[in-house]
Amino acid sequence: MKSLVIAATNLRRFLRDRSNVFWVFIAPILMILILGASFGGDSTPRLGLLTEGTGELAADLSARLDASGDVRVAVFDSRDALVRAVERGELEAGLVIPAGYEETISAGGSIDVEFVTDSIDDTRAIRTSVESVITQQGSLLRAAQFVEAEGVGTFAEGLAAAAEVEPYLAPIEVTTTASGEAFSLSRLGRFDSSAHTMLLLYIFLTSTASSGALIQTRRLGVARRMISTPTTARTVLIGEGLGRYSVALVQGLFIMLGTWLVFGVDWGDPLGAAAVLLVFALVGSGAAMLMGALFNNDQQASGLGVLFGLGLAALGGCMVPLEVFKWLSPGLWKVAHVTPHAWGLEAFDNLVLDGGGLVDILPYLGILLAYAVVLYAIASWQLRRVLTR
Amino acid sequence: MMKSAFTIAAKDMRERIRDRSAFILGIIAPLGLAAIFSFVFNPIQDFEFDATYAVADQDGGPIAAVFVNEVLGGMERAGIIEVVAVDSVDAATALVEAASDPFGSEESADAAFVIPTGFSEVVQSDRPAAMEVIVNEGGGTEASVAVSVADGFASQLDATRLAVATTEHLGASGDRADAGTRFLSLPEAVGITNVTTTVKQLSGNTFYAAGLAIFFLFFTVQFGVNGLLDERNTGTLSRLLAAPIKRTSIILGKAITAFVLGVVSMSILVVATTLLFGADWGNPIGVLLLIVTGTMAAMGIMAIVAGFAKTAEQAGNFAGIIGMVLGFLGGTFFPIAQAGGVLAQMRFLTPHGWFMQGLGDLAGGNLADIVPAVVALLAFALATGSIALIRLRKGLAP
Repeated sequence: MKSLVIAATNLRRFLRDRSNVFWVFIAPILMILILGASFGGDSTPRLGLLTEGTGELAADLSARLDASGDVRVAVFDSRDALVRAVERGELEAGLVIPAGYEETISAGGSIDVEFVTDSIDDTRAIRTSVESVITQQGSLLRAAQFVEAEGVGTFAEGLAAAAEVEPYLAPIEVTTTASGEAFSLSRLGRFDSSAHTMLLLYIFLTSTASSGALIQTRRLGVARRMISTPTTARTVLIGEGLGRYSVALVQGLFIMLGTWLVFGVDWGDPLGAAAVLLVFALVGSGAAMLMGALFNNDQQASGLGVLFGLGLAALGGCMVPLEVFKWLSPGLWKVAHVTPHAWGLEAFDNLVLDGGGLVDILPYLGILLAYAVVLYAIASWQLRRVLTR
Repeated sequence: MMKSAFTIAAKDMRERIRDRSAFILGIIAPLGLAAIFSFVFNPIQDFEFDATYAVADQDGGPIAAVFVNEVLGGMERAGIIEVVAVDSVDAATALVEAASDPFGSEESADAAFVIPTGFSEVVQSDRPAAMEVIVNEGGGTEASVAVSVADGFASQLDATRLAVATTEHLGASGDRADAGTRFLSLPEAVGITNVTTTVKQLSGNTFYAAGLAIFFLFFTVQFGVNGLLDERNTGTLSRLLAAPIKRTSIILGKAITAFVLGVVSMSILVVATTLLFGADWGNPIGVLLLIVTGTMAAMGIMAIVAGFAKTAEQAGNFAGIIGMVLGFLGGTFFPIAQAGGVLAQMRFLTPHGWFMQGLGDLAGGNLADIVPAVVALLAFALATGSIALIRLRKGLAP
């Protein structure tokens, strides 16, 4: 009972500060929106295109690039602007169709287009896409050149004939068969993975960053006074923790429902998702309590809270997907599982990707619960120590 | 006037050193996060293209030989890929499947090519021909490059077929294989030259170090700027106002504190990240210019917050929100320039974006290249600083 009163007071103090509305409700949605918009969906590389010459052939090449769907074409009209955009990483690569493109080719000569990148190694994929479009147009151009070289007609006649013949030729097919396991990333929707990771990141971050609340309770002398009544340090801690816990729950519920309604994010089995939220929020509030018991200065605690909140989230796969760790660095994948975040993400993956239910994620819930118990136990012991010292 | 300002600043600085909050927020937090970020993100940035392809040549004809020896062989000799020859489709599939398990055996292939029996013969006729690529679902770039390689080869064959067919259409006749050989001896109509630009983006560790440094700078300078609110809170402000000190001196004192805290913590971060994580900030004079103007911009913005806030706590809360939103849009946490579109351009509405771009331009260019960034940061500082000054002076009015 006493804990509930303490929790209510804690909550009232939290809500009185309007800026907390931003951190609890607006910031996570903003971040999911920006991350989803910029990285979740279209990963088609961007190619800047500069056509220095005029003529139909150059226009045809640019139309083919646009139609290929492998690159997003952005048209530039100056070389400086194109180069600057590549240098700054706003484009993956640029392509310059030189002046005299049409004249040289129709005279039977060969000409180079310029492929502009800041690193040849990192742009192999886009380079291949560009090459294939160039080859596509090139096959018509070469056929026309061949016609002239063989003496059976002019370049223009050859080009017209090649365009006529081409639809009747059965192209050499390349059939692609996929085998092995799919990257689970690719099975998630545009906002899904960022919503899952942001839920965990924010529940934890909001908790640890507001760990100063417990310190304020101590500094205002409220905690000592409570201890002097027949109230144990544990009750105080549970009450303060409950306050944090309810904030974390409300925030989590808001993120879940909001992203489900607005972006159609898949959270899997509702019962399972609710269980992950209930347990993970407990871990977050436990971490906040531990920090609140350990530090004496609320500004220091919130600074370190941001450090732990963001740092553990980064380690735990909230910024780089766990699957990527697994592929690139198995060692890092193991380190990630020291954080509660990784276990929360595994639980969501199980719910959403494998269609699991509450029973399937019990092991993950158990591990998360263990984190919460340990955090609360140490926090309670430490709080009693500092309050009765 | 300056003397009293310095006295106030010195007193504030002593307080800030005694209370370790500025130290934690200005140095420990960004340094810790930079360490974690570089630990987490570096394996991804160090990712290199390294593909192994299996090839099952069931045809054994001249065209299959061109693919295996020249196309794949050429890539292998260039050190781009490794090629494993296998005898059967099953063996090829098994190698590709083995790549699914990152913890599994070494023997695996990102993709496999299968050239079916009779391929060479069919290609020289008019009949449809096909070759197969088996890719690993999780193979990413390596798998898609394999498909492109096969596509590229197929389009070479298509081009030859088209050229020969076109001449036949226009009345030529003769041996197809000979015509094909003559065609292939002609140079490509369109070649591709590589133009490599300088890199005006920060790489890896430098990016995280710089991003976190500028992000936390806004919170560090706040300790100085909010001094005014602290004085009001503790009741010392009215005593200061009663003393023979100009109002401007009081504000100047707080500004000096903020400036020193900002520049010193940034400089420590530059040195520490360089020594600890091998961050490469670039030309020291350019870096110093960006730090000084960046700190001034941060002071201006945070001073406006302090000017409109009633208590230090409220100022802290607003500052948190503003710092977060500007930092996010300015691309301090991830290279937002790569997001493209409006989002990428919006970074230039924030001092963070200019600071990062200035460092990027410095990395790929010279001192002159950072002029736009320095001017933009100064403009931020001037605009916000003058608004804040008017507001703060009003707040101190008797």
